[in-house]
Amino acid sequence: METNFSKIKAAGRLLSSKQMSCEELTKRYLAAIEKENKTLNAYVRVTEEQALAAAKKADEKIMRGEVLLPLEGIPMSLKDNISTKNIETTCCSKILQGYTPIYNATVWELLQNQNAVLLGKTNMDEFAMGSSSETSCFGGSMNPHHTGHVAGGSSGGAASCVSGNLAVFGLGSDTGGSIRQPASFCGVVGLKPTYGAVSRYGLIAYASSFDQIGPITACVEDAALVFDAIARQDPLDSTSQGKKESASASLTKELKGMKIGIVKEYFEGIDKDVAAAMEKAMETYRHLGAELVECSIPELKYGLPVYYILACAEASSNLGRYDGIRYGYKVPHYEDINEMICKTRSEGFGAEVKHRILLGTYVLSAGYYDAYYKKAQNLRGVIVNAFQRVFDACDVILAPTVPMTAFERGQTQKDAVKTYQTDICTVPVNIAGLPAVSVPCGFDGKGLPIGLQLIGNHFQEAVILNAAYQFEGATRENGAFRSVEMGVAL
Amino acid sequence: MVTREDVLQMARLSKLYIKEEELDALTRDMDNIIAFAETISAAQCEQTDFDNISNLSNVLREDVVLPSYSREEILKNAESQDEGYFLVKKRS
Repeated sequence: METNFSKIKAAGRLLSSKQMSCEELTKRYLAAIEKENKTLNAYVRVTEEQALAAAKKADEKIMRGEVLLPLEGIPMSLKDNISTKNIETTCCSKILQGYTPIYNATVWELLQNQNAVLLGKTNMDEFAMGSSSETSCFGGSMNPHHTGHVAGGSSGGAASCVSGNLAVFGLGSDTGGSIRQPASFCGVVGLKPTYGAVSRYGLIAYASSFDQIGPITACVEDAALVFDAIARQDPLDSTSQGKKESASASLTKELKGMKIGIVKEYFEGIDKDVAAAMEKAMETYRHLGAELVECSIPELKYGLPVYYILACAEASSNLGRYDGIRYGYKVPHYEDINEMICKTRSEGFGAEVKHRILLGTYVLSAGYYDAYYKKAQNLRGVIVNAFQRVFDACDVILAPTVPMTAFERGQTQKDAVKTYQTDICTVPVNIAGLPAVSVPCGFDGKGLPIGLQLIGNHFQEAVILNAAYQFEGATRENGAFRSVEMGVAL
Repeated sequence: MVTREDVLQMARLSKLYIKEEELDALTRDMDNIIAFAETISAAQCEQTDFDNISNLSNVLREDVVLPSYSREEILKNAESQDEGYFLVKKRS
């Protein structure tokens, strides 16, 4: 099935056919941001000067009659935990205010090599810790489909700006669902690549054995194009592997005979509207010729505690570096170095970040290490093996991305455990290092988008993206998707 | 059961100050989360040490000396510095 939803290609055609200069296209996005960002709070920093300089470069190339690279001249955004040389990068935390990296994250280096146009840095939960983007020191990012609801998190700004047509695509990061969940909430596509597919160099660390950078886009083809551009082995990240199968070249394969696992634990306790959308999605896949295989992973019940124990443990260690000495916020008044560090950290970190540091310190401390950290680490291995058991019989797993649709503003701050439980369908993928994509599959009664999650085995991005692409082609015109009336129409 | 003393001890280890008025609520929250984490204690699993999520091996570059960042760049974000060093107040 061939689809024609690509906004990257649409923008590229506008530029190369000279219907619009890159400068004009960029200015339209900047004007739309100026107008809509007050409501969406998707961007925390707009990089107008850099954007116009990159646009000029693309225009000069077009004038010389040269062929543009796939992402050249395309207006896009970066989550605020992706380091950008000489552009303030704060993780939406007070403790990093004023910090301007002296180097680029490898993903941004790769996109800059293609001369992509950076419009700005996007809002996120502080240090990517949260599910609503409301732990950001800049306040939460709103959902373009319904601005009384959040965009989700932690990459809320990235999803909000793509959904609200304030960028063609954005890069986010996913530690426990932070790309897929906001993509699901905002009705856009979000890809969390295999652990090791994309370099983490320059991604400010939350939980290093879970973190992965990936694209948030308007359609599956765009996700494949951006993934192909950023999936590289990087000498600066020894965990990056450089697997080379092109995802965008694999998008037109038939699904006949594909085995799709329906893991029953993913469907327990999900909202009624989400369950109905999942039923419809399964029906679509049957029509496309796929075979649905019922299976079970009882070990998934340990997913959430395993994730929160290990991620917080890693966070408590990773965030030890913020001491006010070398960069970022530093308190003005203190007696000695210990007080300076303690005061800086206490004032610089928000409540959720402090919670997770304390929890991580607890599970790593003498007396509790074996019962929590080590046990969770061993269970991580058990969950990895359980997924492999399913992938022995299936090509992909189909599940909801989130058990519900976007939360109302201010709802997630009330009960930590209850909020953590909303990540139940996304964290297992990070525990096992698997790739997964969220693709829009319908709406709830309030008109809020629902996301379908497709999970693949390690380095099978091409397989899950093809399965998502076929689904998108079969459903998008029939109400699985609705574009938002704001921002730049392409 | 997480106690107030536990929370204060964790705060000391992680160099955070906890305000007296926040301590009870924080202890309650931590206790809730730890009770939730406790669900893994019933899980059966072999005592083999977990090593790697996907049999990945590190891809290491050649060990050759390459140019790195200048002292000026490294110090650019530091608020206090002196003669090319980070300046830190003496411990009293």
